[in-house]
Amino acid sequence: MSEYSVIGKPIKNVDGVAKVTGEAVYAFDMTLPNMLYGKLLRSPHPHAKIISIDTTEAQKLPGVKAIITGKDTPGGKWGLWRRYPELCDQTALATEKVRYIGEPVAAVAATSIDIAERALDLIQVEYEPLPAVFDPLEAIKDDAPLVHEDFENNINATRHIEWGNVDEAFKAADYIREDRFTLSSQHHAPMEVHNALASYDKGTGRLTVWASTQSPYFLQLGLADALKMREGDIRVIKPHVGGGFGGKNSTMPESVNAALLSKKTGRPVKIVYNREEEFIATEHRTAMNLAIKIGLKKDGTILAKEVKIITDGGAYTGLGATTLYLAGTFITFPYKTPNYRYDGFRTYTNTMWSSSMRGFGAVSTVYAAETQLDRAAHDLGIDPLEIRRRNAMTPGYEAPGQYKVESCGILECIDKMKERVKEKWPKLEKDEGIGFATFAYMSGGIFNWIDTPYAFSGAMVKVNIDGTVDLFTQASDIGQGSNTVAAMICAEVLGIDVEDIRLHLGDTAITLTDLGAWGSRETLMNGNAIKAAAEEVKKKLISVARMKLGENIVYDLVVKNKRIYLELRPERGFSYYDIVRDAIKENDGEPLIGIGHYTPHNKGMISPAYGMGIQAVRAKVDRETGHIELRDVIVVHDCGQTINPLGARGQVEGSTQMGLGFGLCEEILMDNGLIINPSFVDYKLIRFRDMPPIELIDVPTYDPEGPFGAKEAAEATASPGAAALANAVYHAVGAEFDTNVLRPEKVLKAIREKEKKDRAGK
Amino acid sequence: MANYRCPCCRKITSDTMDLARHFLGQTDRKHKDWLKTKGLSYAQLIRWQGTEFGNKGYKALAELLEKEAPRVE
Repeated sequence: MSEYSVIGKPIKNVDGVAKVTGEAVYAFDMTLPNMLYGKLLRSPHPHAKIISIDTTEAQKLPGVKAIITGKDTPGGKWGLWRRYPELCDQTALATEKVRYIGEPVAAVAATSIDIAERALDLIQVEYEPLPAVFDPLEAIKDDAPLVHEDFENNINATRHIEWGNVDEAFKAADYIREDRFTLSSQHHAPMEVHNALASYDKGTGRLTVWASTQSPYFLQLGLADALKMREGDIRVIKPHVGGGFGGKNSTMPESVNAALLSKKTGRPVKIVYNREEEFIATEHRTAMNLAIKIGLKKDGTILAKEVKIITDGGAYTGLGATTLYLAGTFITFPYKTPNYRYDGFRTYTNTMWSSSMRGFGAVSTVYAAETQLDRAAHDLGIDPLEIRRRNAMTPGYEAPGQYKVESCGILECIDKMKERVKEKWPKLEKDEGIGFATFAYMSGGIFNWIDTPYAFSGAMVKVNIDGTVDLFTQASDIGQGSNTVAAMICAEVLGIDVEDIRLHLGDTAITLTDLGAWGSRETLMNGNAIKAAAEEVKKKLISVARMKLGENIVYDLVVKNKRIYLELRPERGFSYYDIVRDAIKENDGEPLIGIGHYTPHNKGMISPAYGMGIQAVRAKVDRETGHIELRDVIVVHDCGQTINPLGARGQVEGSTQMGLGFGLCEEILMDNGLIINPSFVDYKLIRFRDMPPIELIDVPTYDPEGPFGAKEAAEATASPGAAALANAVYHAVGAEFDTNVLRPEKVLKAIREKEKKDRAGK
Repeated sequence: MANYRCPCCRKITSDTMDLARHFLGQTDRKHKDWLKTKGLSYAQLIRWQGTEFGNKGYKALAELLEKEAPRVE
């Protein structure tokens, strides 16, 4: 029997009923009395000087209440890399020049969306087009146009990682392979588009913003920098969020301009992007050129790896510099790599900027590393699972100066996969193949580029006289189920039910700071903060119970199933509810409050813990059309102690689907900086009907740093899909690829090339 | 043992490869201008380092720094 009452049980999402009945309120749904509607005028040029902006005609339109341009803003710049002011490069509205198609140059507030849109048409902007650059390899040339004048060669950020003796290790290798990849961008495609509602109180000088965000705290900081206001005068409230997937970490122009327009008009202003704006003017996955060299022994043991990445950063920084760092890290996982060298460069280009997206830094790099390893295994005559097994990390593995992996179930994952594939797919049809790819990801990052002086996560627990609990947390549930996990952790510590807990969420005025939902940080980091807060209360309850029992101090007490009792004599104890009442009454009516914080310490440079596993894809290829039919998926997953198996399963399914989308059909297409597929008609999003069944096998481990041993769950499973798919196609028909997105024409071309090669070989 | 000081800032290290890594990590004009005066292009070094295997960019820069970087005790 499990030692836990709540942890590890499949609990339905605490927000589930509200969401499926339409009762849940998103920022998108919100209105305020006297509210105005804002719209943004966007640049049609990828790079151009702004000569003049004439708003005269637009101002005359009845219903238009305010129009602002760059000169009306306080001129504050912002960004997520606040430790490096030069990387805080975003502005509310372009002033001197525009740097990408879709960059806002003016904002309108009007009494209706229609009027606001008509006003945009009446604003006259004179531009002087400038030479633009779209290719990262062109961008670093000496004669390339500069996207930001202060950044020569358009280098936005660099990263070098090195350990061991790479050159000597390559000399000692029996087999060396070099591969080059071009990996494309991908759109987050959240159901809820970017939107914000801002209300500025001229009397107090305070601003309240309701927004679809992954981090109320990041938004509060971004707004403070942009508007040159005190953080404390800005309250950010995050209602339910209809998906983020990494695209809602940055403070984006809709929040800042809604606030500016509200300040100007004294009325609440709401800005909602339409779907086209969501495609052209919000962040996306980082496209990159990647070169990877691997050196192995004859038996498949990895001796050395060298990786070169140049990313297409786009016009601004966002979390793109972090992507660069994570890419250089996760391309080594989950294998022992004794000698490693990485150079990464992020370039500015005249495109909408790239940033974080589910599994950021890992999805593209896993594609390169895992397809390369498969080819190497083939060349060396080693089974694809065996080569992965031979190199798999073990608990306690350390990459010098970078990371340490405590809990690590990758070997067990590979073994389980081997067993299950043999049993489930004993025979394959003609032109059918199985591809494998491993994956790993962080449980929150140990990076403080945001430069917060606060703990990374904080939580407060208040126990009411009737035993119910108010849990205050800023952990951002963006659909991934962190609210349920938060309630479960609190319930487990206090020995009560999830239903006894009322959540107070995502409001910078009433919840303690949390850095938000990115890099799978909420379960481990916020979970630890909640656990600490609940344990503080539990300690107080135990102390009261001990006094009442009058027992020797060596006897341990347990708080479980709404009772507090002696561990060795369970019949001796009290009702939780009685002890709560006594604790409050006997302490002069002082409320039972616990506060908890978490910041990682002594855990290396990357993350306190790593989730990992392996995925298998079975696919059939049509040699005549190049069409790939996805037939089956198996995921074997180590996420430590699973907190909520039902939630984890849902996340694995969604994440796997997104990863397969990156491999099969999802790609942002550009022509001279113009996104040419900015709709769900033209952007081929993978759909449920394209998806095969997903079998999930859990390999439980216990991570000492995680709450109840938990760590990252599911985000990592966005990484292997594309690689496993490409490997399946390789094993089915021998076709090899140096890009993701295996559209039929690409597959067909690769098949023809393979056939040609085979004929020449004969 | 003599250490090397970056010709453009106060970074001190015992290894010219390490100094080259530092140098290429700087995005300010001062470092880039110094490279120009020595006939090396920042863009070329980045291109080598970012696309070619074997630390080609760092090695070229380390060679130059070996000759040009001031020695400090």
